[in-house]
Amino acid sequence: MRFPPNSKRSLTSSTTGLFFLILLLSLPVILLLSSAALARQAEISLTILHVNDTHGHIIPYQDKSADPGRPVGGAEYLAKMIERERAANPDGTILLSAGDMFQGTPVSNLFHGKPVIEIMNYLHYDAMALGNHEFDWGQDVLQSIISSASFPVVSANVFKRGGRHIPGVKSYVILKRKGVRIAVIGITTPDTYYTSKPGNLTGLTFVHPEKVLPSIIRRVRAQGASIVVALTHDGLDADRELARKVSGIDIIVGGHSHTAIMDPVIESGTVIVQAGSNGIYLGVLNITFDRAKKKILSYTRKNELRLVSPASGAQLDPNVAHIVDKYEAQVKTEFSKVIGTAAADLARASIGESCLGDIVTDAMREASDAQIAFQNGGGIRADIPKGPITLEAVFTTLPFDDDLVTMDLTGEQIMELLEKSVLSDNMLQVSGIQIVYDLSKPEGAKVVSVEVAGKPMEPQATYRVVTNDFLASGGNQFNIFKKGHNISAGPSQRDAIADYIRKNSPINVQARNRIIFRN
Amino acid sequence: MNENIDVYVNGQKINLYRAMKVKHALIAYDQSLYKAALAGGVRIEDENGFTIGLEGSLADGAKIFTIATG
Repeated sequence: MRFPPNSKRSLTSSTTGLFFLILLLSLPVILLLSSAALARQAEISLTILHVNDTHGHIIPYQDKSADPGRPVGGAEYLAKMIERERAANPDGTILLSAGDMFQGTPVSNLFHGKPVIEIMNYLHYDAMALGNHEFDWGQDVLQSIISSASFPVVSANVFKRGGRHIPGVKSYVILKRKGVRIAVIGITTPDTYYTSKPGNLTGLTFVHPEKVLPSIIRRVRAQGASIVVALTHDGLDADRELARKVSGIDIIVGGHSHTAIMDPVIESGTVIVQAGSNGIYLGVLNITFDRAKKKILSYTRKNELRLVSPASGAQLDPNVAHIVDKYEAQVKTEFSKVIGTAAADLARASIGESCLGDIVTDAMREASDAQIAFQNGGGIRADIPKGPITLEAVFTTLPFDDDLVTMDLTGEQIMELLEKSVLSDNMLQVSGIQIVYDLSKPEGAKVVSVEVAGKPMEPQATYRVVTNDFLASGGNQFNIFKKGHNISAGPSQRDAIADYIRKNSPINVQARNRIIFRN
Repeated sequence: MNENIDVYVNGQKINLYRAMKVKHALIAYDQSLYKAALAGGVRIEDENGFTIGLEGSLADGAKIFTIATG
């Protein structure tokens, strides 16, 4: 069969035309698929791991609010969990601490936080915010902690004279993960003024966070940060207020209030998380971020906290376990050390003055420079026998983690305390004051005389008084302690007594003449 | 800043020194509840329903609630 002279050209033209038609019709679909592929490439997953308020808890312990049946926590179990989460997102994970990591347990306190720092260095934390309790041991020890840390310590609102930061502390760091810059800005609670001895904060100013954050956020954005994380130690309520007042914060990783935020809180578009306390939880915030739009597309909405537990089958990190074991063994050695000597048996008494009550209150006065000290008799839980006094004996005698609280009270208020004390099953032990009671007098009128430093106490005069935080909150119904002024907190009562014993040994039993009963 | 704060325990107003903790609020409200919390018989929640630790700080106006765990 022979084709007409132009038939081949016609067939070719038709095929080409059909091809282009199909291509034209397919173009939107191709573009759509490419766009989706590109979009998926722009979306990345990031993981923010976080802890806060560990307070030296590196050993599992019983916390029935977290798990009624089994111990929880334990640094070696936490370490393994961190390793697993990092393995799930190796290039996209950061590990943060929102502060208050060191002060709180004998294994950490006795070594000024060294075991915790060793563990944090091993785990390669990316940043830690300064918490208020980081100041508990004074600025020299804090400096030592900061120098020992191989990770950045951040706090944007704490300044030394001249507007400088504490040496070694930065306002923020910028981390880079999967090509995304993440700014981590530290915030420390201004309430540190009220939780630390004034001597620990010499020369420091704590500025309200909303005054410093806006300019820092502008600065880090200008430096290319696509995500802004405020790493705060200020409490959930303060975090919510900060989110309302300051725009541009994508995520707040918080601490201080010891809140176990199971499902992240959203406040004014800011995601807020916090991982409870005492190393019981690891926070795992997974976010999907669009690199092209520079926007967080999604984040963990539920069950953000993972329980840390040595439950059967739980895996641990042997290197961290070794650090914990090493310091636990050293605690036993420290506890058995002799810190002083008792020249005679130091006994308690629930009614009237006791030798041990005298020593405890004298130690409180010495640690606080107060004129008068009060201690509830029931808070002294064991006698100290004659002979060498070990650190363990101090812990047994004063097992509660009480802090000293110093305040101004009037003579009239002190009189009210003394009238209540004589009626109480838990009579107050005293220092700096001499009281004569007439037990035959009616209730409310049993105090016959009170002298402070040898002079009659004046009802309208103001006296500097130290007690413990249990009484200061109205414990044993001594509500007058809640009416003080010029409050300052710290140091730990136990530390004050241990220091006193070290400095004043042998501890001699003084004649009892502070609380005198007549009739 | 005021030296004192008001917090609410089970709806009851309690006045405390600033920077006092959850445990102090319990002591001021009902000492026996503090002892129960230490023993694990009570846990403390904030107004969002989140569990908070006894050593957690309190802000002015904070509302906390005691929940029996037994």
